[in-house]
Amino acid sequence: MIQIKNLDFKYEDELILKNINLELKDGCYTAIIGANGSGKTTLAKHLNALLMPTKGSVTIDEIDTKKDQISVRKKVGFVFQNPEDQLVYSIVEEDIAFGLENLGMRTEEMKTKVNSTIKGLDIEYLAKKNVNILSAGQKQLTALAGILAMSPKYIVFDEPTTLLDNKNKKNIMDVVNTLNKENKIGIILVTNLLNDIKYAKNVIVICNGRIIFNDKKSKLNNKILKKAGLDA
Amino acid sequence: MLKKLTFGQYAHKDSITHKLDPRIKILAVILLSATAFLLETYYKFAIFSLFVFLLIMLSKINFSSLIRNLRPFFFIFAFILMMYILFSRNELDKGIQAIWKFVLLIIIASILTFTTTITNLVTGIEKLSAPLKLIKINSRTIALLIALTIRFVPALFLYAERIKDARLARLGSLKSPKHVKLLFLPLLDRIFKSASTLSDAMLARNYTEKRISYFSAIGLKNYDYISFTVLLAFIFLVLLM
Repeated sequence: MIQIKNLDFKYEDELILKNINLELKDGCYTAIIGANGSGKTTLAKHLNALLMPTKGSVTIDEIDTKKDQISVRKKVGFVFQNPEDQLVYSIVEEDIAFGLENLGMRTEEMKTKVNSTIKGLDIEYLAKKNVNILSAGQKQLTALAGILAMSPKYIVFDEPTTLLDNKNKKNIMDVVNTLNKENKIGIILVTNLLNDIKYAKNVIVICNGRIIFNDKKSKLNNKILKKAGLDA
Repeated sequence: MLKKLTFGQYAHKDSITHKLDPRIKILAVILLSATAFLLETYYKFAIFSLFVFLLIMLSKINFSSLIRNLRPFFFIFAFILMMYILFSRNELDKGIQAIWKFVLLIIIASILTFTTTITNLVTGIEKLSAPLKLIKINSRTIALLIALTIRFVPALFLYAERIKDARLARLGSLKSPKHVKLLFLPLLDRIFKSASTLSDAMLARNYTEKRISYFSAIGLKNYDYISFTVLLAFIFLVLLM
């Protein structure tokens, strides 16, 4: 379980996150929504220990993000908005293996893991391709494969479809849904697109660094969306 | 033109050069580049160029890709030639040889990048620079820096092209220094943003300065030793001629 207690985050004297308290259960599918600059990405980065709380704590299965970043990152994967900027190596299968190399996995085991991940996402045809010639959707799938290969318990998606066309958007959202339903991976989806949250069970709405709604998606109403600046 | 830039891009082919250990290829590039600088006569240039041509053939590299790699440098070649014609016409030979050496260097470097994946290149550089640990320089960091430079060169040109198009779409021009400045400032901004995201993405995948396992484990085989011996013999002969 992910637990956030009394989290404050300050950046250059500005309080970006204010008194955040959250609990995300194993296998959850939670969407974090909010307008641009509301603090949702800042909150998401705390889950992968990319940012540390100024006050309060973030624990992943009782591991404090301030104390053991490596264990936290083994449990929580992070897929960024722009796939172009998150691929390290130039060949798809090698990039997928980057995280496994960092975990110190044996070469043979690594190859098996990379192959099974590629097969699972149905992207065998991309394995030997240069990442620079892939479409944005294919790059995002490669980035996701790199995270999936590390077998995380939770994956944070930071606006994963913003740069994609409708077909690729649907493809990625379907893959995310399958990961949650079939692989029981906890999904934390950060977005400002209401269309993206159709599979989410719970929704957290952030406005000016504060949580103004944290409940089942069915209870979300226009008044809250308007307050968060997300009404159409 | 920028979209077609292929510098630093690996092309998957089944060739002897592709199979060679990256350490051998890196050492070969260093030795061949140094030899290219020592060439003095057209006779040596011809023999050396023939050897490089053979390497291209063995590597199954597409000639049009090689030409595309050279195209961005045509302006520099023209500039060098112009300088010799204007200020040192009696040494025009030296100008032609300087350009020839430049072309050879680019082709030699291209053979390495066309036939070696970044992972193998990183591993090769990492292993070759391992002795630097004695003076507390981390070899993985150096290797990764080089690899990321190669990985992001095409992306850099793509960003530049997008910014240039956006400027031109609003009737901007790239003729005055002021407008060139307007191209470079957003480009720098984009580069810093990309670098920041990339470093976060690497941390998110548990990047550390110490690597203990390799996806593409490398090891020297018989044909590596034979190839390196042939290369040394060739360089020795060219320099003796």
